[in-house]
Amino acid sequence: MLHEITFTVNDEPVTLAVKSHHTLLRVLREQLGLTGTKIGCENGECGACTILMDGEPVNGCMVLAVEADGHKIETVENLNKSGELHPLQKAFVEKNAIQCGFCTPGMLMMAKGYLARNPHPTEDEVRQAIVGNLCRCTGYIRIVDAILDAAKEVA
Amino acid sequence: MQPFDYYKPKDFEEAFHLMNMPGKTVYPYAGGTDFIPMSRDGFWKCDAVVDVKALPGLREIKETPDGLFVGAAIRMNEIANSDLVKSHWDVLAQGAGSVGSEQIRNRATLGGNLCTASPCADTPPALYVLNATVIIRNAQGERKVAIADFFKWVRQTAVQNGDIVVGVVIPRPAAGAFGSYVKLSRRKGSDLSLVSVAALTFPNGKAANWRLALGAVAPTPIRTPAAEAILEESSDEAHIELAAKSAADTSKPISDVRASETYRKLMVANMTKRAVRMTLSRREKGG
Amino acid sequence: MANDCTTVGKSVPRIDAAEKVTGAVQYVDDLQFGPSLLWGKLLHSPHAHALIKSINASRALALPGVKAVVSGKDTPKPIGLYLKDRTIFPVDRVRFVGEPVAGVVATSEEIAEQALSLIEVKYELLPAVYDPYEAAQPGAPLLHPDLGKYEVVNFIFPEPGTNISEHFKLRKGNVEAAWPQCSAIIEDIYSLPQIQHVPIEPHVAVARWDKDGQVTLWAASQSPFAQRDLIAQSLDIPHGNLRVIAPYVGGGFGGKAGISIEANVVVMARAVKGTPVKVRMTREEEFLNTNVRQSLFGRYKIGVDKEGNLLAMEVAYYFGGGGYNEYGTNIARAAGYSCTGPYDCSNVKGDSHCVYTNTQIGSAMRGFGMPEIHWGLEQIMDRLADQIGMDRVEFRKRNCVRTGDTIVTGMKMPNIDLVKCIDLVARGIGWGKKEAATGLNKCRGKGIAIMWKAPAMPPNPGSSAIIRFNEDATANVFVGGQEIGQGSFTVMAQIAAETLGIPYESIRMTVNPVDTRYSPYEWQTVASRLTWSMGNAVKAAAEDARFKILDTVAKYWKEDIKDLDIKDGVVVSYKSEREQPLKKMVVYGLPNENFEGWQGGPIVGSGKFMPTYVTNLDAETGQGTRAVVHYTVGAQAVDLEVDTETGVIEVLKIVSAYDVGKAINPDLVLTQIEGGAVHGMSSAFEGYIYNDKGLMINHSLVDYKIATSMDAPRKIQGEIVESAVEDGPFGARGVGEHVMVQTAPAMANALADALGIRINRLPLSAEKVYLAMLEKGIVK
Repeated sequence: MLHEITFTVNDEPVTLAVKSHHTLLRVLREQLGLTGTKIGCENGECGACTILMDGEPVNGCMVLAVEADGHKIETVENLNKSGELHPLQKAFVEKNAIQCGFCTPGMLMMAKGYLARNPHPTEDEVRQAIVGNLCRCTGYIRIVDAILDAAKEVA
Repeated sequence: MQPFDYYKPKDFEEAFHLMNMPGKTVYPYAGGTDFIPMSRDGFWKCDAVVDVKALPGLREIKETPDGLFVGAAIRMNEIANSDLVKSHWDVLAQGAGSVGSEQIRNRATLGGNLCTASPCADTPPALYVLNATVIIRNAQGERKVAIADFFKWVRQTAVQNGDIVVGVVIPRPAAGAFGSYVKLSRRKGSDLSLVSVAALTFPNGKAANWRLALGAVAPTPIRTPAAEAILEESSDEAHIELAAKSAADTSKPISDVRASETYRKLMVANMTKRAVRMTLSRREKGG
Repeated sequence: MANDCTTVGKSVPRIDAAEKVTGAVQYVDDLQFGPSLLWGKLLHSPHAHALIKSINASRALALPGVKAVVSGKDTPKPIGLYLKDRTIFPVDRVRFVGEPVAGVVATSEEIAEQALSLIEVKYELLPAVYDPYEAAQPGAPLLHPDLGKYEVVNFIFPEPGTNISEHFKLRKGNVEAAWPQCSAIIEDIYSLPQIQHVPIEPHVAVARWDKDGQVTLWAASQSPFAQRDLIAQSLDIPHGNLRVIAPYVGGGFGGKAGISIEANVVVMARAVKGTPVKVRMTREEEFLNTNVRQSLFGRYKIGVDKEGNLLAMEVAYYFGGGGYNEYGTNIARAAGYSCTGPYDCSNVKGDSHCVYTNTQIGSAMRGFGMPEIHWGLEQIMDRLADQIGMDRVEFRKRNCVRTGDTIVTGMKMPNIDLVKCIDLVARGIGWGKKEAATGLNKCRGKGIAIMWKAPAMPPNPGSSAIIRFNEDATANVFVGGQEIGQGSFTVMAQIAAETLGIPYESIRMTVNPVDTRYSPYEWQTVASRLTWSMGNAVKAAAEDARFKILDTVAKYWKEDIKDLDIKDGVVVSYKSEREQPLKKMVVYGLPNENFEGWQGGPIVGSGKFMPTYVTNLDAETGQGTRAVVHYTVGAQAVDLEVDTETGVIEVLKIVSAYDVGKAINPDLVLTQIEGGAVHGMSSAFEGYIYNDKGLMINHSLVDYKIATSMDAPRKIQGEIVESAVEDGPFGARGVGEHVMVQTAPAMANALADALGIRINRLPLSAEKVYLAMLEKGIVK
């Protein structure tokens, strides 16, 4: 079944025909070419596909594309839309919180969504917040540091 | 994932019409966090889903004369972060807050947690100790099912074809009630429980009433009346030990890929102790 | 010694960070192939060991949208890195649950999926064997009756008629004579199950077989050149006609080395010539179908004299290599020639076997045999120390290898300082200081473990590099090694910049993607070899380019080349103090006086490195002049707590020290140490669980758990030791694998310190720990 949906993606209005059973993750990547959001497990376990839906972090693989109708979606491509790196991105670069980079988009979006809700988190809170974002390369230490650092600037 | 159709009705009449389409398997759909994985793996096959999120009342969370009403499409994070829920039904907030990750909790719903009826679900034990009632509606009307009657077996509930779970009503516990939800899992976050315990205590005159519910150690969540009775005699250390042993005896865990029956039984005892002690500690601090 | 380099030795920013942080970076799955792209899916064997009697794809082929079905009849020619014991699709039998039996190509993923269920495969079940020790015994079901006929490299020794695909023998001194002189001997068995790399990016490959015979493969790969070689051989494609393109990798850890699904995808593309076909593993397929770290059954017998000196070691390793051991044989070999661990012992008897088992293919994974054998070694060393009443750290310092020692294969140990590593971690963890647990019901302990590892490769793995300049004096560096997150591109840029004498910011790593058509040859991105080997090649290419520049300017100035240098992008003469910027001259050359002709021209530097000094080892004794190029050594100490109500282990702090020779980029070394510590810790809790039919039952992230941000220790301290290696650029050697080799035994040792409990088989699950506490009476 095809549905025509109208939603906002990275502050731009988009109208699209999507199939009922396609996830938002697939539609973003395959129909809109927004490949910054990654496929890691498609089971809601790894967080590599974390995007913001109305400002809240969700796994894009756990949302049917059709559900995005009327909603506001934000992906990693939106962070440096102005041309400048977002404070979170700057912090990740400065802290060397990136190795293979595959978990990075999901981490950034999770952090952005979380900091909007809790602008002054403790280290423990940050660790709790990203517990659904798996990283195999970094051991998380730099990622947590980067988020705490960026929080000061974002707040 | 194999294809299915999607509908989002605005009212119950439309919903029931869709749920009862002849010759079609139709699933109610809310958060998708169980439906999408199960459908992807081929365990759940359907012709269509009916998204219940736009149905009136399902996205409400409010206090009523009968108690707290939590709509079936209310999400785990909304429950965990709700001052209203935390005010008198905090053990439910704890249970909801222990589900998965932030991303999952921003989507997973109470209704889904109930209807999937995984034995290790995190909201049912809290709902058990709070004596919640599940409200189910279908084309014929509405009915109420006590939480203790809602779960029939592993992944089997009182929900029939054509039913939509509307929400739960949870009576307000007596003043001075405190509760804890303890979840033992393999990893510190975003993991299914191996054993979980919900404990609730509230004053009853000079004495205290206790309710204990166990998750992940039987085909459905279970209360432990014998253990509760022991704690109602006294909640000193000796009685806590006895209650823990009794709870373990009541449990019927299995061995599976996550843990063995032996370990689970041992952990029922230890986690019961932990839940009771945590509850006593909260009571002492005044919450 | 002061660091008088301008770039090398500095923690310059990663060269790939900016593009990764914006989501602009394209991994294989992000590449766009247009609407003609077809989807491939693999049909997996449901049986652990069975003959394939027939495959009937007619119903699948009749499904609208299905373009082709391929299977073993299309791939008769063997494939394999060290031992050609596989075909791309199995021809006559399957050897593990999950083995791809057939491939479907269709116009959509859903149709391909549906088609899988329409392929009828008839199997005849064979008895299966899963445990490597059992599989090595006479009478075990034979997985490869034709083992004797397989093509094999001259340093791997299979035993036809058995399941043993490699048997490495190490005989040094005389263990039998030494036992009676030991005052303490520990004999025990240590074992571990398979685990997996779990990179966040699953395996994915796209292939297109053009009608003119040109074949292109895009793969998430650590080994574009090796994949080209193996696939070209097996499918009879001229090497020059097969192009492998490998962009950034979203995590490899060895899992994307060698061959996994890539060859299957090329075969599927051949069936639909002219159209690209993509196959992406689901996470479940990753677990079931792609490569794993081998299981190990290890027998150890180690003895010391009364002073605590190691006198004799006898070890027998049985690696569960899975259904095909084409790569895994070298793991058993590496474990054989390093079988003692980083210890000096004159009497050693070692037998290391790679054994066929009906499980997933055991192949390269971070550590390549070292984590597996150190699990037992390091626990026994602890126990020996305890038995003779010596401190566990002192015991290791007494017995560990030192520079110049004659090690187990008879070679002299190159320059290392393991004692310094041990001292650093002992100090960092507060060794000897008993620290209070952080809460009631917690028991705290500290453990230490040391390690060594040499790059495990054939004797002649080559690296090469090309450097070319642009008019603005930026330089393009071409290499064939991959950036899998370890920071290789950054380190190469530093080496190139330093050697050329130009700023780090002037380097353009022209390597994304690595493309076998344009990139110079690199054996594989494995073995922690890029900093060292590819670094040597880049340094050689930079020296070549530097010479060409200086030669041009020397002639132009009529000066002696020995008085010239390049500093910060400018050629300077120490004699005349003249200066010549590199801009433009690196392309256009320099004019003679009065424009009477020109000097120089476009500067292109090339370089290679291939070790020339690795020798064969005697097949019966494992002795030889030079078994390996060098060793990297390290120490790790762990501070952990056990929750005595649940058995859950929480690691509080890990201190690691590794001798890297030279830290080209110190902060990147630290990030490897941090990531490795958590990976190592996680590996102690991971394990494949099988049912009795050989099906791996925890094949999703729901039940195969890896460390999360909450599991990772809050404190990880990394220390860098620099004892220059003689054959590495600026003295550098690798560290990417070493950082997680000994974490599991360090944790086991800490557990023993906390509770007096020893666990012989991984994983260190809470359940195992709790039941051990119960048995020991620590809890009731």
